[in-house]
Amino acid sequence: MNMAPVPAVRVRGLRRKYGEVVAVDGVDLEVHPAEMLTVLGPSGCGKTTALRLIAGLETPDEGTVEIGGRRVAGAGVAVPPERRRVGMVFQDFALFPHLSVRDNIGYGLRRDPDREVRVGEMLDLIDLADAAGRLPFELSGGMQQRVALARALAPRPDVVLLDEPFSNLDAALRTQLRGDVREILRAAGTASVFVTHDQDEALTLGDRMAVMVRGRVEQCAPPEVVYGEPATPFVATFVGIANLVPAECRAGIAATRFGRVRLIGSRSAPLEGRALVVLRPEHLDLLEAPDGPADPGSWRVLRRRFAGTEILYEVAAADGERLWVEAGPGVRRLRVGDTVTLRLRDVETVAFSSGHPGTTGVVPVADTPAETEPAGPVR
Amino acid sequence: MLAGQALRPGRTAAGAIGTDDTARPAPRPLLAVGLAIAGLALLPLGYLVIRAIGADVAALDLVIRPRTLHVAASTLALALLVGAGTVGLGVPLAWLTTRTDLPGRRLWTVLVVVPLAIPSYVTGFAFLAALGPRGALQGLLAPLGVERLPSIGGLVGATLVLVLASFPYVVLSTRAAILRTDPTVEDAARLLGDRRSTVFRRITLPVLVPAIAAGALLAILYALADFGAVSLLQFDSFSRAIYVQYRASFDRSLAAILALMLVAMTLAVTWAELRLRRRAVAYASVGRNTRRPPTIVPLGRWRWPAVAFCGAVVGLALVMPAGTIVWWLIRGIGQGEPVRLVVDGAVNSFIVGGAAAVGAVLLALPVAFLVARHPARLTTFIERATYSGYALPGIVVALSVVFLAVNAIPFLYQTLLLLVIAYAVRFLPQAVGSARAALVAVGPRVEEAGRTLGDGPLRAFLRLTLPLLRPALVAGGALVFLTTVKELPMALLLGPIGFDTLATEIWDAASEGFYARAAAPAALLLVLSAGTVAVLLRSEERGQ
Repeated sequence: MNMAPVPAVRVRGLRRKYGEVVAVDGVDLEVHPAEMLTVLGPSGCGKTTALRLIAGLETPDEGTVEIGGRRVAGAGVAVPPERRRVGMVFQDFALFPHLSVRDNIGYGLRRDPDREVRVGEMLDLIDLADAAGRLPFELSGGMQQRVALARALAPRPDVVLLDEPFSNLDAALRTQLRGDVREILRAAGTASVFVTHDQDEALTLGDRMAVMVRGRVEQCAPPEVVYGEPATPFVATFVGIANLVPAECRAGIAATRFGRVRLIGSRSAPLEGRALVVLRPEHLDLLEAPDGPADPGSWRVLRRRFAGTEILYEVAAADGERLWVEAGPGVRRLRVGDTVTLRLRDVETVAFSSGHPGTTGVVPVADTPAETEPAGPVR
Repeated sequence: MLAGQALRPGRTAAGAIGTDDTARPAPRPLLAVGLAIAGLALLPLGYLVIRAIGADVAALDLVIRPRTLHVAASTLALALLVGAGTVGLGVPLAWLTTRTDLPGRRLWTVLVVVPLAIPSYVTGFAFLAALGPRGALQGLLAPLGVERLPSIGGLVGATLVLVLASFPYVVLSTRAAILRTDPTVEDAARLLGDRRSTVFRRITLPVLVPAIAAGALLAILYALADFGAVSLLQFDSFSRAIYVQYRASFDRSLAAILALMLVAMTLAVTWAELRLRRRAVAYASVGRNTRRPPTIVPLGRWRWPAVAFCGAVVGLALVMPAGTIVWWLIRGIGQGEPVRLVVDGAVNSFIVGGAAAVGAVLLALPVAFLVARHPARLTTFIERATYSGYALPGIVVALSVVFLAVNAIPFLYQTLLLLVIAYAVRFLPQAVGSARAALVAVGPRVEEAGRTLGDGPLRAFLRLTLPLLRPALVAGGALVFLTTVKELPMALLLGPIGFDTLATEIWDAASEGFYARAAAPAALLLVLSAGTVAVLLRSEERGQ
């Protein structure tokens, strides 16, 4: 690892307590130049606090923060937020209500001789040159959002922090702005950290994503790796839908009641003995069972969920085990109570040893909060 | 006098009021009643306008007389000084009680609002009785050979008393704006490169400017409308000049001209206040979905100076007036002041106040029902019309009613009935405000349920909705009662001859310099003022 580029942000061992509550509990993160790192976690997992610690709006109890290779917090250093070269887009945008769009964007450029030019560039970038003279309360939510982004980018910060920037907008606008924001940040070439509780946002926007829970980072990897090789049972069930199926592992192969799957990943492959295998709904084929006496290996349909492009069924075995399965295009619409059989596809996945924290008493997937469920599994 | 304006029942746009899915047209009889009430409320203003239109060319000469111009200049000077003074006291107090670790913040928050409930002539009387030529201070200094203190009247005295009476408007308005402002804008400004002190100058203060200015204009409205304090302190603002003119001569057209000039000034200030208020609300509407509490600034070594500042303001605005009144009360009892007068005044005040409260609540019900259940342009007009008297200075309303009675209904002139009607109509908005809020909260579904179970519309209203409205109606009525009891200029001009209320007793005694005689009714009014605060605080709690 020689001559690695200086990371835009490097966080080491960050901790912050509020009274007895540990909001951020030993977080390590790196943001590469021009990269967007998304941070996904349930509300109260400490992701916003982590962002505020990076920005300098909170002071860490332990740990260090470096921005653009410069130490800004920890080990006796405490650079105030105004000298960190960090841009931030707040959840409620925090536009200055008494200043026009132009003056909002130019706010951080007070000492910049090219202020007018830069503001003009930003206005073009967000496509709001026509609205330059308006006051924030005269703008729609989407326009406010873009102004907030332009204001944060105008002083050319080393990194832009975005704190759930779409959570106050309606669903249609959110999808559109998601693309806009990504495009604007890419055009500006600025590194960014994007905090969200919406896994769709985290999966589609991030070059890499970090999954946080209880103040810790459980996994930090490209989105497809987080989905395909979740590091912990929590990540497996929080990102996408996961069935945790008991299996017997040997030599990189897990034997389940449906058959064998190959184990991948440095932690799964060497597992021996009893374990839980992660099976995504698309890992199983759902077949209609022929009418007649119920075969002991058959499953009963408990409920159906239409997820945009495909239909998911929750099915139960005679022994009470429940799974979520995706129905392929050839399967006719099933009703609750229908019997089906399941067949494992040729897949690779990960497993967790039964002693892994979080594998005992795994919450049935169906009970995960609706907001953490995907509009459609990511492939 | 204007203390009731502290309530300022919300002036929401008609469309936002109703909980109805679709606004149905109002029943015609109800609409007729509403229009009649609106007409009644518009009478004083309408009559003045008609008089003005009918005035001959000579009236214009009256406007540019040196005497008139002098009064206008004095009033303007008073307004500007009160505006500046209330901002000077109100903004630091609002900031200290919301954004700092000031010891005893909650207590200060209540204490600095209380002065609004005390009638200005009571405060004015207390200042005269304390610092005037023959006041309490002179009494204390008498052993040192001080025979007489210099007068505290005039512009300085009037400004001092009115600032101490009306600075809570600035506190309330600024506090509300601070609490509504998104504290993350300050974080955003720091991330864009500003130090804490720069953020205060570039963001915190400018965002509050519309709310501060609106509060200051409310204080100015209070000063413009004030009659009691300027009269006792003998300062020639419009209110006093109108009264002097009215009493002094048989030709009352100059009084009418002065009144119209005051109305014009009041309307201009009201218009500016509404515009600023709208701007303040617009500022607060930007990004308000996620709200963090305001960041608290530690005062450090400024802690105790800050407490001293709050203490000094409360001391001057509350403790000193109350202390002075108690001091003269004790002296008065020692000198054997007749108690009978106080009892008579109190009984008269309670009769007028009680009757006005009942009348206002009865008039308020149809208006509140129309605007809450049948929001439309016409019902909004009816509601706005009920404010017209409330927005005018008391002395103007009183004068207009006198003209009206003398010319159109002489048999009612100087009767108790006319006085009660005038009060009920003038303070109607206080009753409408609470009744409307409660009606919106109750919603039309309860009545609809009653209709499906066999009740007619009126019966359903009386059996179901009315009982649910009772607390709000009682609160609104209590407010009208307290405001009426404290009101002075209408009692002076419209009261039957020889009919003394607490307010007129204080005014008579204080303007003659009989401080001991004024002390007992003033003490009683102080207690009633505390009652006003209690009613307001309770309805605020219910509102939350």
